[in-house]
Amino acid sequence: MKRMSTDVLVIGGGSTGAGVAWDAALRGLRVILVEKRDLTHGTTGRYHGLLHSGGRYAVKDPQSAIECIEENRILRRTHAHCIEDTGGFFVVTPEDEGDYPDRFKAACAKVGIPCEEIPLKEAFRREPLLNPRISRVFEVPDGSADSFLATHVTAQAARQAGAQILIYHEVIDLLTEGSDGDRRVVGARVCDVVHGEEVRIDAAITVNAGGAWAGKIAAMAGVPVNVIPGKGVMVAVNHRLVNTVINRCKMPADGDILVPVHTVAIIGTTDERVSDPEMLTIEPWEVDLMLREGDKLVPGLSRSRILRAWAGVRPLYQEGYTGESRDATRALALLDHRQRDGVSGFLTITGGKWTTFRLMAEKTVDKVCEQLGVERPCLTATTPVPGAEQGHYWLGHRLHEVEEARLQGDLICECELVTRAMVEQAVANNPTVTLDDLRRDVRLGMGPCQGGFCTFRAAGILHQLRLHAQEAPPQTEVDGGLPWNVAYLQSPRHSVQAKPAALNPKVSPLDNPNLLLRDFLQERWRGLTPVLWGRQLKQERLNELIYLTIMNVDHLPEDGEASPLTEFWRFDAVAGAKEDGR
Amino acid sequence: MIVDLLVIGAGLAGLIAALRAAEAGLRVKLIAKGMGALYWTPGTIDVLGYLGAEARAVERPWERIDDLPERHPYRIVGARRAQEALDWFRACVAELGLDYGGREDGGNAHTPSPAGAWRPSYLLPAGQRAGDVKDGRPMVIVGFQGMRDFYPHLIARNLEAQGQAARAAVLPWSVLSERRDRNSVQLAEALDEPTTQQRLIDALRLVVKPGERIGLPAILGREAHSQVLTALTQALNAAVFEIATLPPSVPGVRLATALRRSLERRGVRVEIGMEAIGFHAQDGMIEFVETATSARPLKHRAKAFLLATGGVLGGGFDSNPSGRFWETIFDLPLTTPQDRRQWFRPLFLDPQGHPALRGGVAVNDAFQPIDAAGNVVYANLWAAGGLLAHADPIAERSLEGIAIVSAVAAVEAIKAGNMVHV
Repeated sequence: MKRMSTDVLVIGGGSTGAGVAWDAALRGLRVILVEKRDLTHGTTGRYHGLLHSGGRYAVKDPQSAIECIEENRILRRTHAHCIEDTGGFFVVTPEDEGDYPDRFKAACAKVGIPCEEIPLKEAFRREPLLNPRISRVFEVPDGSADSFLATHVTAQAARQAGAQILIYHEVIDLLTEGSDGDRRVVGARVCDVVHGEEVRIDAAITVNAGGAWAGKIAAMAGVPVNVIPGKGVMVAVNHRLVNTVINRCKMPADGDILVPVHTVAIIGTTDERVSDPEMLTIEPWEVDLMLREGDKLVPGLSRSRILRAWAGVRPLYQEGYTGESRDATRALALLDHRQRDGVSGFLTITGGKWTTFRLMAEKTVDKVCEQLGVERPCLTATTPVPGAEQGHYWLGHRLHEVEEARLQGDLICECELVTRAMVEQAVANNPTVTLDDLRRDVRLGMGPCQGGFCTFRAAGILHQLRLHAQEAPPQTEVDGGLPWNVAYLQSPRHSVQAKPAALNPKVSPLDNPNLLLRDFLQERWRGLTPVLWGRQLKQERLNELIYLTIMNVDHLPEDGEASPLTEFWRFDAVAGAKEDGR
Repeated sequence: MIVDLLVIGAGLAGLIAALRAAEAGLRVKLIAKGMGALYWTPGTIDVLGYLGAEARAVERPWERIDDLPERHPYRIVGARRAQEALDWFRACVAELGLDYGGREDGGNAHTPSPAGAWRPSYLLPAGQRAGDVKDGRPMVIVGFQGMRDFYPHLIARNLEAQGQAARAAVLPWSVLSERRDRNSVQLAEALDEPTTQQRLIDALRLVVKPGERIGLPAILGREAHSQVLTALTQALNAAVFEIATLPPSVPGVRLATALRRSLERRGVRVEIGMEAIGFHAQDGMIEFVETATSARPLKHRAKAFLLATGGVLGGGFDSNPSGRFWETIFDLPLTTPQDRRQWFRPLFLDPQGHPALRGGVAVNDAFQPIDAAGNVVYANLWAAGGLLAHADPIAERSLEGIAIVSAVAAVEAIKAGNMVHV
């Protein structure tokens, strides 16, 4: 068995895990991060993209609100290019309760969130599609964030500081020593799920950043951690109906946030306590509820073309809590299992939200340092990640770069303006096991046609790269000194300037284009079925024409193979026939 | 003017119905919102490729139609009449300069798809027939550097995995065009030019080995296709075939263009950009269909109406989140489940297809739409093509077969029904 050793083993490749790895590496610790799938495959990659100002929690959860506004200010500097400075409105619709708006304004002032009531005329000038019956509008510094890119660049920053990031490495067991009352976690046995090899990692401290899966990880050390899995459903609409984040000015509830992200707008979310974080089935009532609530913010939203629906599971945590997940605190929870359970060398970081991931990492690594007996200050609040020098994201950047460099003929995904070079660079430099990994890197297949044209093209390109790699394997190593900067993952122009991509067989081990095709078609299907009607159904029928009539992909050779995610994208029932009349 | 027959829809079913009716001497007009789905399809006539859960392709389609649902369009027509309709189609398009043919034994031909799977088709244009698996000779699949819709290595890999000797070759893009942003139709137009043809022949000479069949993306000329095909075949002394890839699809465009020109020559008006938005009926008879134009709604009067709007794909059906599924012009009864939870199966590639896409307009033996009780909905309305119930033309690979067979059958019924005077 391969054996590795480190100071800090981080379990989980979401925003929190990547943040912990970055922070610990900056403080000079040796770090290994393991993630069972791709970075952001879990909840980080399944959220609506809201960079909170804290306004949402100002009344209900002031501590969370303070954390949000402080982190909001920091991330705008350290992760500038991962954030679009949309600003946010809190709007009072006719349904919203009487004194909440004034309490909201006072609470924002109290916790230090800049909040200004703006004239309705100005609000409607900036967002003409807003419900005309809205009676008051408050402006706050919300933003919209690209959690895929942010996590990638955070992990890249960690790599540059010496951390090792191992994706598709699943923890099988935690290694413990000692007996009850004096036990210690000394690392983990992990499985490289792509190559089917086991690796033993010895670590001075193990940090459980498994998010919604943190309970399962902790159980491996015999430690009970009751994460409250709160499922949230989100629906993407085929237009940026708004350019500002729109929140309902009321106690947080279902379907009261509308976030413009890249080319779409996302309405979210529900909050349903579920038994299992892999339970991501979406019921028709959940979609209907999102659309109905969305109409209250932007009338007619429900008649827009709906692209996709998906669910993420919040890793909420509240010691001893048994109530509804909507009312569980959003505050971060750092569990020191030495103090709490008599198991040393083991920390769990959970709760919180994307906006506070850096703070969660800071507190965690403070505790790590304390336990390792070293004193090193946190540097993440003042250290920009690679690419931050580009400034904030703006929607037009891809089109601008494609036009400047005349790349129209090289577009592989016309919906999201992804060029061939972007695909090649992303594949060569980020481990790609499935096309879904590529989707998170460059937004492949995220637009209106949901992979209709680009799935085939990407599978063809990957296959060609793979052939070239077999002829002339590249010299570069996987970790450290990447020839191409992850920070520019999304830039059409940059990928032209970069040197030609060569696939590294070590990082992209799967050699079956048919499996890539079929897996991605199924992955898209899973997100489409809850919202397939009208024009999106017509689009889907065109995709069937392409993949059945033209391509005949259901009769390609090698039917038996599977990727680590083939099973994940299967779902047994489109709807669980649950009609509770909500 | 009141025409004898108003055809709604410009896909294969609509074009064929109009042609068949015009040939029989009817005064015909065709209106459609868009150009029809032929622009998306590979230009082959697929009759029946797969039967539900059977993994193997159907060998001889006409021997298997009794295994289809009882009210499947083929079973309404019967194998003999269906084959007659296809014979008529072949003769018709032959006159238009399109040589369609298939295996002599009445079986499906199998030609490479752009993903390298074998596509089962019943009739193929001359430009695709040399790709049949039955031929047996090795293939060289030739692509062009940077062409985003064609991946010769992928095709060759999968053909090899299925026992067909195949290799890939890539030619420079500059053989075809100086511009990078050209789609298949534009590349085909470039190959209408003799100088481009010569460049392609010169480039192919360098890569083709003796005895190999040459597979190319379907860009071998738009107007001058048969001349391009002959020129390549003779100059290289090799069999040449096209592989139709992502839309727009040149072989489908060629077929649509030929059929429309034929209609125009027969004096049939083909009006594209006419979206039907309403109709008027009295005493169970449709009097006119209304279309939207920029100025005012237009009324299209006819003695008989034939609906060929193509179901979900063609825009003939619409649906909404409350689970309603409806036919967009006449609100005809559909067999589609009116419950969103019953529309789809969990696997995209489920061999049974999806219930929402198998539903459609149920018809009687004369291809007249009927309600659940079996009553004719309008005495002068017929339906043909992709909107028919009890078939999933995409899952079955029966898209063109159903279009042609049902269109011919519907027109025969119109003629026989004394609705119009021939």
